[in-house]
Amino acid sequence: MGTARIGAAAASTLHSLCALGVAAAYFLAQRVCVLDLVAHPAQTLRLLLVIEAPITIGVYSWLRRDTHGCSVWKAIGRGLLALPVGAAINAFGAIVLGAPVGIKYWTVTAYWSLLMSLFTFVPAACAFGPSRMDWQRILSFSKLLDAVDYMISVPAYGAIIGAWIGAWPMPLDWERPWQEWPICVTYGAIAGYLTGMVASVVFIVALHRKVHAKGE
Amino acid sequence: MPTSDPVSDAEEVEELPPDRLRSLYREVSKIPPVYDRLILMVIDGLPAEFVLGRGNKPPTKNMMEAMPYTHSLLSSGKAAAYHAKAAPPTVTMPRLKAMVSGAIGGFLDVAFNFNTQAMLEDNLLEQFYRIGWKLVIHGDETWIKLFPRLFHRQDGVSSFYVKDTVEVDFNVSRHLEAEFASTDWNFLILHYLGLDHVGHIGGRQSILMAPKLKEMDDVIKRIHMNSILDQENSDSHTLLVVVSDHGMTDGGNHGGSSYEETDSLALFIGHGVEESNYSPYDHNEAFQVDIAPTLALLFGVPIPKNNIGVLLTKLFDSLTDDQRLRSLELNSWQLLRLLKAHLPGLHCGESSCYSCEKGLETNVPTSEAKQRLCYLFSKAISAHNSWQFRQHSDFISADINYFQVAAESYNDFLRNASEWLSHRATDKPVNVLMSAIIMMLVSSVLLMGIVFCLFRRVHFAQVGCCSQLEDPYKILHLDEVFVFIVIFLHVLSLGASSLVEEEQYTWHFLTSTLYLIFLSRTIESLLKRPNSVTLQNKDDKTVLPHSSPTDARNNSGHKFTKFRPSKINNHGTCRLFSVVVVLICGRLLRGWHQGGVNWIYLPDISKLLVHAGTSTIKVCQILSLFAIIILGSHAIFKLKSTTNFVYGVWSSLLLSAFLVMLHTMENHIYDLEPMNLSTTSIAQVFYVVASTSAVLTFLASPWIFPVYSMEKQMVYQVRSNSCSTKQRDSFLLSIRETTYLIGTTYTAFWCLLQLLIQQPINAIPILLIYLQILFSIIYFSADRSFHRQWVEVAAIYFLGLAGHFGLGNTNSLATIDVAGAFIGISSHSAVLSGILMFVITYASPSLSYLSMVMYIDMKDITFISSTHEYEWSIFLEKMIALPCLLPLLFNSLVLTSFTIILLLMRNHLFVWSVFSPKYLYVCAATVCVYIGVFIVAATGLYTYSVFCFRTRNPQEKCPQVLRDNVISHSQTNVISQ
Repeated sequence: MGTARIGAAAASTLHSLCALGVAAAYFLAQRVCVLDLVAHPAQTLRLLLVIEAPITIGVYSWLRRDTHGCSVWKAIGRGLLALPVGAAINAFGAIVLGAPVGIKYWTVTAYWSLLMSLFTFVPAACAFGPSRMDWQRILSFSKLLDAVDYMISVPAYGAIIGAWIGAWPMPLDWERPWQEWPICVTYGAIAGYLTGMVASVVFIVALHRKVHAKGE
Repeated sequence: MPTSDPVSDAEEVEELPPDRLRSLYREVSKIPPVYDRLILMVIDGLPAEFVLGRGNKPPTKNMMEAMPYTHSLLSSGKAAAYHAKAAPPTVTMPRLKAMVSGAIGGFLDVAFNFNTQAMLEDNLLEQFYRIGWKLVIHGDETWIKLFPRLFHRQDGVSSFYVKDTVEVDFNVSRHLEAEFASTDWNFLILHYLGLDHVGHIGGRQSILMAPKLKEMDDVIKRIHMNSILDQENSDSHTLLVVVSDHGMTDGGNHGGSSYEETDSLALFIGHGVEESNYSPYDHNEAFQVDIAPTLALLFGVPIPKNNIGVLLTKLFDSLTDDQRLRSLELNSWQLLRLLKAHLPGLHCGESSCYSCEKGLETNVPTSEAKQRLCYLFSKAISAHNSWQFRQHSDFISADINYFQVAAESYNDFLRNASEWLSHRATDKPVNVLMSAIIMMLVSSVLLMGIVFCLFRRVHFAQVGCCSQLEDPYKILHLDEVFVFIVIFLHVLSLGASSLVEEEQYTWHFLTSTLYLIFLSRTIESLLKRPNSVTLQNKDDKTVLPHSSPTDARNNSGHKFTKFRPSKINNHGTCRLFSVVVVLICGRLLRGWHQGGVNWIYLPDISKLLVHAGTSTIKVCQILSLFAIIILGSHAIFKLKSTTNFVYGVWSSLLLSAFLVMLHTMENHIYDLEPMNLSTTSIAQVFYVVASTSAVLTFLASPWIFPVYSMEKQMVYQVRSNSCSTKQRDSFLLSIRETTYLIGTTYTAFWCLLQLLIQQPINAIPILLIYLQILFSIIYFSADRSFHRQWVEVAAIYFLGLAGHFGLGNTNSLATIDVAGAFIGISSHSAVLSGILMFVITYASPSLSYLSMVMYIDMKDITFISSTHEYEWSIFLEKMIALPCLLPLLFNSLVLTSFTIILLLMRNHLFVWSVFSPKYLYVCAATVCVYIGVFIVAATGLYTYSVFCFRTRNPQEKCPQVLRDNVISHSQTNVISQ
C-alpha cells in the first residue's frame, strides 16, 4: 500500500470512489433532502462537503508518500488541517477574480472554497505533507513522477480550469438563476474534477506503458 | 461603421414662388393646414419621466410641484404628451436631425456633435423655408450650424460650456417679449440648454434641477398665455411643441441607449389638441422620428423624404375622417417610397384592386419582410378604398367600422415599415469594405510577422547569454499560453453583445487570472529555491539566497530591492508581495464602479462614497494625492545619483501636487456659482507647470545626467581586461537611469493631472492603478528573465485596459465625463475640451504606455554586454521595439477583428446601441496606442542618441551603428502603421 506502485486499475477504483461520493451527495441532495444547487446553494454545498470530505481525506491519506515515517492518522490530521488553509487560498483566488464579497455571499463562498480545497489542496496535503519537492513538482506540472502525482494534480487542475470556465456565463444577460455566484462555478468545478479523474487514469496508463517500454 | 444613407435620387421640386408652392401642396395633399404658426421649444436633456412619470405612474411630487402650469395643462386635457423614444446615439445634434428629418442618421454623427456641418438632407425646416415661412431661432447654435442660411433672425448660444446653467437660458428667454410682439415669424425655435448642463454637473438629483424645471414651466406658461390663449377665436392658430432631444442617466450623462437616456418628451399644446378621455400620465409610447411627419402633415408641407416616422394620429382628431385617412395614406406612400429605395424589387403599391382583395383574404403574412410589408400596404389601401366606396354609395351604417379598419390597417403598415426601416442599415459598397478589411488584415499579419521575428532574435540573444531561463528550450510556459488565450477570448467576446456591454468583467477576469498564474509561478520558484541549499529546511528566512554572478550584476542597477526591509535578497517574497498587491488593487478597482449595463444598480464602493457625502470624497482625494506623491518621490529617489536636477524635478512635482490640492480644496462642484475663477486659474497654472517640467525632464535629463563611472572605468580596466564591455555597461546604466527618471516623471505627473481632471470619486482608483503598475514593474524587475519580456509588456498593457474600465468607463457613450473637460478652460474651445475629454477617458491605458518608459530600464540587459557584433541593434530592439510593437499588435488585432465582427453584425438588433459605440471606443483606443507608443519610442530614441553623442569620443563606432538602427527602426514603424 501507500507509495507502492499504484496501477491504473487501482487508480480508477480510487477515483471512482471519490466520484461516487460526489454523485451520492448530489443524489442525496436531490432526492432525499430535496435540495437544489440552484435554489439552495449553501445547503447543497454543505452536504457535498460533508459526504466528500471523509472519502477524499481517507483515500489520499492511504496514498500518502511517506508510509514509514507517517501513520494514516497523522495524514488524516494533515488533511483536516489543510482543509481550511486550502479554503482560504481558494477563497482568495475566487474573490480576486471577482467573486462578490458581502454578508449575503459569505456562507456560499466559504462552502464553495472548502469544496474546492477538497478537490485541490487537501489531496496533496494528505499525500505529501510538508515535502517541498513534491509540492513544487505538482505546482509546476512538469516532471511528474508516478501515478499518485497524476492522481492528485490532474483532477485538481481540472477542477480549477472547470471553475474558471464556469465563471464565463456569469456576466451574460440570460437572467437564469444558475448564473448566480457560485452555482455555475461549482458545476464547472465538478465537471472539471470528474474530467480530470478520467484524464489522470489515461495519463497513468500512458506512464505505465512508457515505463514498461523502458524496462524492456 | 454602418450608416443610413439618405435617399437622394428623387426628383427635385421645381423652383416655384413660395405662395404657389404652398397652394400646390394644399391641392395635392387635400388637407388644409391645421395651424399656421409653430413654436418648437426644445429642452435639452429633459427626460420625459420628469413630466409624464414612468410606466403609468405620475412623476414624483417635487417634479409635479416644479412644473405646475404644464401639469394643469395636461390634466385639463389641453396638451397631448408622448414618451418619444430617441434612437441612440443620444447626443444633441443627431437627435435634432432626427426630429426635423424623421430619419435615423449615421452613428458617426456623434463625432461631429460638437463640430456640426450643415444638414443637406430633406428636412422640415427646408420645406417651411420653401413655402415662404420666416424662421427664428433662439438657443443652441447647433441649429444655426445645421441650417446656416434659413433663419430670418437668430441668436445662438454655445452648447459646449456645460458649467454655465443660468446665462444660456437667460439668453434665450430675454427674446420672448419681443417675439410675442412681432408678427413676422411663422416658426420660432427656442432651444434651452440649461437643464442638460444641470444634469452634466449634478445628475438627475441635482439641487438645481427643480428651479430649472420651474423656469421651463414659466416659459411654457408665458408662451401659452401670449400666443395660444389669445387666439382662441381668431383664424390663425399657433401650435406649441415642447420636445427634448434626449434624456439623461442618473449621473446626468447621455449618449447611450438605456431607457433613461432615450426617454425624451414630446408635448403638443395648441388649439385643436383636446384630450378628454384619458389620464395624462398614461404611458403613450412614440418615437422621436414621429414628430417630423406629424408636423409636416399638420402644417401642409411634404413629409421629408427620408422620414421613417409615423404620424401621431391623436393630433389629427380635429380633421374630418376623409382627411385623417388621407394623411395616413400620404405617410404610407412616403414610407413605401423609402422602402422601394431599400428594396429595389418592391412593386406592390401599383397592384390592382383584385390582388388587394386577395391579399385581404390570405390572412397569413409571409415571413419575408418584403412580402409582409407589401401585404400590409395592399391591405391598407384596399381598406381605404372600400371605405371610400361606402362613403360614396351613401351606405352609412357601417361607416365607422370601415373607417377604423382602414385606419388600423394603415397604422399596421406604418408601424411595421417604420420598424423595419429603423433597423435597416444600408449596405456600403462591398468591394471597398472588403478591400479595406483585407488591407487591415494584411497589415496586422505583417506586424505580427515583424514582432515574431524580433521576438526570436531577442529571445535567442537572451538564451545565448543568460542561463537563468530554466527551460530555454521549452517552447511556451503557461503564462505565455495564457496571453494568447487572453487575446483569443477577448476577440471572441467582442462578438457577443452582452459581453461587449460587460467588458469590464472580461478584462478584470483575464488580467487577474494572468497575475494569479504569475503568483503560482512565484510560489513554485519559492518552493524550489531553498532546495538548492538544503532540502529539508522549512524556514525561508534563514536560507541564504541563491546567488550567482549574474544576480550580483543585476543588483547594481536594481533599485527596488530597497523596498523591502531586509537586505537579504529574497526576491521571491518581494515578488509574492507585489503580485498580491496587484491582485488586491485589481479587485478593489473592479468593486469601485458597477459598470456595464445589466448590473449597474448593484451597490458598489463609489455609490457608497457618494452616499457618505462630499467631505468623505474630498478626504479620499487628498489621501490619494499624498499617497501618489509619496510613491512618486520614493520612486524618484531610488535613483543612484541624486543630482540637483533630480531635486528640481522633485520640487516641481511637489509644486504641482500642491496646486492639485489647492484645486481640490477650492473646488465645490455642487456649488451654485457656475464658474469659479480661482479654480480655473489654479488648473491653468498646473497645466503649465506639469507640462513644462515633463518636457524639460525629457529634453534635459539625457544631457545633465552623468555618463557613469568614467573614472571607475580605470578600476575596471585594471581589474578585468575587457575594457569595452565595462564601458558599455556603464553606458547602459546611465541610459537606464535616465529613462527611469523620465518614466517616473511622466507617470507621476500623469497621475496628478488625472487627480485634477477626473471626477472626485475616481481619485482612489487612479492611485490603485498607479500602485498596480508600480508593483508590476517591481515584480518584473525583482528577478529578470523570470518571464519572457513580451509577457511582461502584455501584462502591463492588460493592466491599463482593466484600469480603463475600473475608472468607470464602459462601452456606452454615456460614461464619457463631459464636465471634467472644462476644468481650467476659461473660454470655450472645442479642441482643448476634446483633448481633455480624451485624456480623461483614456487615463489608464495612457498611464500604462507611459510606464513602459519606466519599465524599459528595468529589464535584463546584461546579456548585451557579451561581445556581439549586433549588440546595439539588439539593445534598441529589446529596449524599445518590443514594448512599442506589442501594444500596436494587440490593438491592430482587436481593431481588425472588430471591424469584421461589425460588418457581420450590421443587421443585428443591437448594432446601434452596442456595437457602434464600441467601435468608436476601439478607434479612439487606436489613437491612444499610437500616441503612447510614439512617446515611448521618442523618449527611448532621444535618450539613446544623446548618450551616443556624448560618448562619441571614447567610442567612435557607436553613432554609425545607431544611425543604422534608427533607420531600421523607423522602417519598422512605417511598416507597422
